[in-house]
Parts: sequence; C-alpha cells; structure tokens
Amino acid sequence: MRILVCFKVTPDYEALRDADWVAGPGDTVRSRYVRRVLNCFDESALELALRLREALTEREVAAGLGALSVGGRETEPFFATLHALGYERAARIEPEAALDYAPAATAALLAAYAQRFDRSDLLLLGSRCGPGDSGTVPALVAEELGWPCVTQVTEIEPTGGGLRVTCAADDGGLSLTVRPPCVLAVGNALVSHLRVPTLTDRLARRDLRADLLAPGDVGVDLAVALAGAPVTLEGLERIDRTRAGVVVEGDTPAEMARALFATHVEEAIARP
Amino acid sequence: MRFTAIIDGTIGSAVEQARALAGFLEEGLHAGAPGGPPGRPWSGLECETLAFYADDREREQLIALAPTIAVRLVRAPERRPDLLAATLAATAGEDGPDLFLFTSGQAGTEVAARLARRAGGSVLTGALDISLEPDRLLGRRQVYSNHMVGRFALTARPWCVAVDPGWAEARAPACEEHRVLSESDAIADASEPPFADLKLTDPPSAGDLAEARVVVVAGAGAGDRDGVARIAAAAERMGAAFGVTRPVAMNAWAPMERLIGVSGARVAPALAIVAGASGAPAFLWGIERAGVIVAVNSDEHAAIVGEADAVAVGDGVAVVEALAGLVAPPPDHG
Ligand SMILES: Cc1cc2nc3c(=O)[nH]c(=O)nc-3n(C[C@H](O)[C@H](O)[C@H](O)COP(=O)(O)OP(=O)(O)OC[C@H]3O[C@@H](n4cnc5c(N)ncnc54)[C@H](O)[C@@H]3O)c2cc1C
Ligand SMILES: Nc1ncnc2c1ncn2[C@@H]1O[C@H](COP(=O)(O)O)[C@@H](O)[C@H]1O
Repeated sequence: MRILVCFKVTPDYEALRDADWVAGPGDTVRSRYVRRVLNCFDESALELALRLREALTEREVAAGLGALSVGGRETEPFFATLHALGYERAARIEPEAALDYAPAATAALLAAYAQRFDRSDLLLLGSRCGPGDSGTVPALVAEELGWPCVTQVTEIEPTGGGLRVTCAADDGGLSLTVRPPCVLAVGNALVSHLRVPTLTDRLARRDLRADLLAPGDVGVDLAVALAGAPVTLEGLERIDRTRAGVVVEGDTPAEMARALFATHVEEAIARP
Repeated sequence: MRFTAIIDGTIGSAVEQARALAGFLEEGLHAGAPGGPPGRPWSGLECETLAFYADDREREQLIALAPTIAVRLVRAPERRPDLLAATLAATAGEDGPDLFLFTSGQAGTEVAARLARRAGGSVLTGALDISLEPDRLLGRRQVYSNHMVGRFALTARPWCVAVDPGWAEARAPACEEHRVLSESDAIADASEPPFADLKLTDPPSAGDLAEARVVVVAGAGAGDRDGVARIAAAAERMGAAFGVTRPVAMNAWAPMERLIGVSGARVAPALAIVAGASGAPAFLWGIERAGVIVAVNSDEHAAIVGEADAVAVGDGVAVVEALAGLVAPPPDHG
C-alpha cells in the first residue's frame, strides 16, 4: 500500500504576542519571528501513518510512506525528520504564489502529485490548518481523485479487506471499513505527537532531500487553478474578546476563592 | 436570487442542522454589508429547503424542521456526501439556486466543497455571516485558529456556504408552515458503496455540557491526571458540568467528549470557571457565550486574564477546590 501524508508547516500562532494580531500588508499577520510547527492534525496524521505501516508490516502487507507539502523552504527541516523516521518518499511543491487562502488550488496540486507522480493508494491529511482554516482541502482532493473520503478520523487499523477507521461524526463516534484508494482526514486523534527520531537515524539519512517540484511539474497550471475557484480574502479583522479582567486580591487559595465567590461567583449562580 | 438550504437527514444530527440553518437565516444572511440590520432581508428571495433522508420514518420530522416554507425531499443512502453532491450538482446551473446553504461538520463541509468543485462554483465554510450583492457574495469567517476574522468574496456561482457551528444555538423561531414541492431519489451509483460495517458508538459530546448552568474547565495548568481529577471532583461538588482543553483531552487525562472549543463542545452557562487554561481563541470560542467567566491562572500575563470577568492569580487546582467548598451544591445533588 502506498501511503501519502499531506502536511503543512505554519508559524506557531500561540507564540505570537497579543499586539501582533493585526493585519499587515497583504492581509497577513506578522509572524516571521516565531518558530515553525507542524499543523497539529497533520502531526497526528504523520504518526498514524507510521503506526499503520507497522501494523501492515505485521500482517505481511508491504507498505511505503511518502510525505508531501506545498510550501516554502521553512518546510525542509521537517522533511529531514520524516526521512529519519523512515518516510522513504518526500516531495515539496513550491508554488509561485502563497496558497494559504486557496484550498482548491492546493487540493489540485496535492491530487495531481498523488495521482500522476506518486500513484498513492491512501492519502492522509489533517482536518484543517491555518491560517486559512478552510477544512475543505481533504474533500476537494477526494473530489479531484473521485475517491471516498472519511473526515475527523481518530484511529486507523488494517483489517482483512481494507482499513477499519474510527471517526468523530456529527452525530457521534463512528467506525467503518473503507477500502483504498481513499482519503482520510485526521481530526482529534489521541495519537497527537510525532515520535522523535534517534540520532543514528538522523545521521544515516541526513543526505536525503525532498524532491522539489513546481506546479507545472505535476501538470497543474496554477494561474488556471486559482482562477477556477475565485474566493478572495478582502481583509482581516481582530475579534474583540476582552472582558473586565479584574484580578482579585488574596494571598492564599482560600482567600482568592472567597474574593471570587463574593464578587462574581455567588451572583452569577443566583441569577435566574 | 434563489437559495436552497440543505439538511442531511441521513445522519442523526438533522435537528441541530435545522437549528443552525434557521438561526443563520434569521440573523446571519444580509442583503447589504455584513453586520447590517437583520430582519429577514431574504424574505424577498426565492428560498427552499432540500432535505435528504434515508429512512421513511424521518420524512415527517424533516418537513417539520425545514427552516423555509418550501421543502423538497430526496431519498438517499446513508452517509454518502459524494452522492448528495452529485444530486445537488444536477440541480445547479442556469436556473438553479445562486446559493446553497449547508451546516458545518461532516454533514455540510464535505458536500459543500464537493458541490462547488462539481458545479464550478465557490465554497466558504464556517460562515459567521454573509451578504448577497448582485454579482458576488461577501462572507466572514474565523481564520488563524480563531485569532482573526477574514472577509471573503465569492464570485463563481453557485455559492456553496457552510455556516459556523455556533449558529446551532441561535434559537430562531421555527417555520410553522410547510409545502412539499417535490419528492425524488438521489442520483444512484452502481459502484459498490465505499463504506461497510458502519457502527455508531458514543454521542459527540457529553450531554450535561450543553444545558449546564455552571461549567468548570481544567486546562493543561492542572499539571497532571491527578490535578484534572481533583478539578473534576470539585466541579461535581458544585453541581457543575466538567470540561477540558485540548491538551488535557490529548493527554487522555479526561475523555475526548469533555473537550470544549472549536474541536469540541460550545457551552453557554451562566458561569464558567476556567482553571489552568491559557485562553487560546480556539478554546475560548467554546465558552465565550458564558454569562460570567472566572479564571484561575498562575501567570498574570496569560491571555485568559483579559478574556475573563474576574481572575485569581494562583494555583488552579487549589483555588477551584476552595471555591467548591463555598458554592452550596444544589438540593438534588447532596
Ligand atoms: C485547528 C485547531 C483547533 C483547536 N481546537 C481546540 C479546542 O477545541 N479546544 C481547545 O481547548 N484547544 C483547541 N486548540 C488548541 C488551542 O489553540 C490551545 O493550544 C489550547 O487551548 C491550550 O490549552 P491549555 O490552555 O490547557 O494549555 P496551555 O496553553 O499550555 O496553557 C496552560 C496554562 O496554565 C497555566 N498554569 C500553569 N500552571 C498552573 C497552575 N498551577 N495553576 C493555574 N494555572 C497554571 C499557564 O500559565 C498557562 O496559561 C486547537 C488548535 C488548533 C490549531
Ligand atoms: N500547503 C499544503 N501542503 C500540504 N498539505 C496541505 C496544505 N494545505 C492544506 N493541506 C492539507 O489539508 C488539510 C486541511 O487543510 P485546510 O482545508 O486548508 O484547512 C491540512 O491539515 C493538510 O493535511
């Protein structure tokens, strides 16, 4: 089974200072100075894929792992980690323009690579990623490929005829069997951390690089893809969530609790 | 201009979907700029509801739930977003609706995206509000993990919009009168169904959270499993529902069904007591409708300090336990 995980690297938005949440030129938020992280759902997907390969290998099913990202050079260190962890295929597609708010174009690139280059059977994605947070890329990829799609996936296990997948459906936890080729979009999986490679593995695979491709290399004309789904960001607004933020007095937990109780808690509970 | 609201009655969340659509139509759909006066500006539009159902017993309920007078019923297999998209795509085109309105979550997002792709339209998910202009649709939604709101313009029709899940709590009055315009079957598919052996297990989130008057939340600052358990016990003593932030659920210090925030439940209690949470926007979305927010955090610079009404700068577990001793439990609780 050829497994391909699509991941995105983003600035660590939680490390941004409060004052930085303003729209700068080109409707972006200044975030160059913070560290880069794997999108949290994609991190789950990358680890789930490693575990799925282990489970398949145990059943004597051959499985290969690939990783794909549409993004800039900031993605490279993450590919090094993935190589060290045993991902044997890796590709980065560098678009001419930022695609943060262009899920349809992103999906076209991912699907074209999966189909024409990688010939993948199973695509793992995350259920959403910043800054666009559209949550539509997995369904758009599935639509491009004509494959079924399961979203909000939390567990994946091989079974006789396919994969047993658990997901958080709108109406509750759902498990189902799906046969590749298919797209799985990972949600709140309990498996949320990518394992850390050993130094030996890092050194052994330090010369591996991700293939660098342009959209044209996978047969996608980005200008056409962008024009085909015209959704444009017109501006960003700050959300005002401020409340009074009164810091209560007190030196001990008991004193603080009494102050909270007297000033806010008792009245809030009593209110009809 | 014409729009169609979609309810996917083949899955068990039709009531919530109908509520979200009704709330959005009441307050989220504007004829002018977003944020303009509400008051059914869409009443001049041609509008209908298209409800998919898998089981005949659901028919009557779906008709009653429809947020518009005009209703179309379509029988469809269970959980097949691809077939729903194909069926809707067949109604799109020159004489088709300008706008398809969906809910978020699995029911709406996937079908909206697939439909936009099939029908050559454009898609906006998580819509907080939209406004219709003659040649484009303007809509707002959260971006940057709920840190900011983005304003988007959609041109290519049909516009496929999935509304923000927060609209489910809007409590708009139900549409009293209904007229069934047509009944049909979804586009059939000769190929083998992609999913087999479907089994539905637990509910999406803990039932006590939605209606709770008091909610106590434990964040990562609770320190460990024991700290989380102590906050949960204090919540129970107060007769409050208990919730957690994402890292707490991800560490399996509490079940996932307790998760509060964009990936979990949204609550609207009279009082929310939040201990050891930094106040990230993706979490805050889940409690921001609370009447009063009280927070305990050891760091006076944490974002939650400015997002709460009152704050104790101290240890989350200790302060919540002390608070539990002061809050008299309700009579039926002890
Ligand atoms: C797409 C996406 C969706 C997400 N969905 C959700 C969601 O639904 N729900 C959610 O919660 N998060 C969600 N998140 C994650 C969210 O952004 C934050 O990472 C998360 O809410 C942080 O949880 P926390 O506040 O418990 O932990 P932290 O951010 O680590 O904060 C811990 C806090 O505890 C304080 N503290 C430490 N020790 C003590 C002590 N002894 N007493 C009191 N305070 C102490 C610290 O000062 C700190 O402020 C999502 C993120 C993304 C990207
Ligand atoms: N630039 C990208 N490169 C690779 N994968 C991406 C990219 N953008 C989105 N994805 C995938 O699509 C998922 C959903 O993203 P979105 O629909 O943009 O919220 C992410 O979790 C990723 O798995």
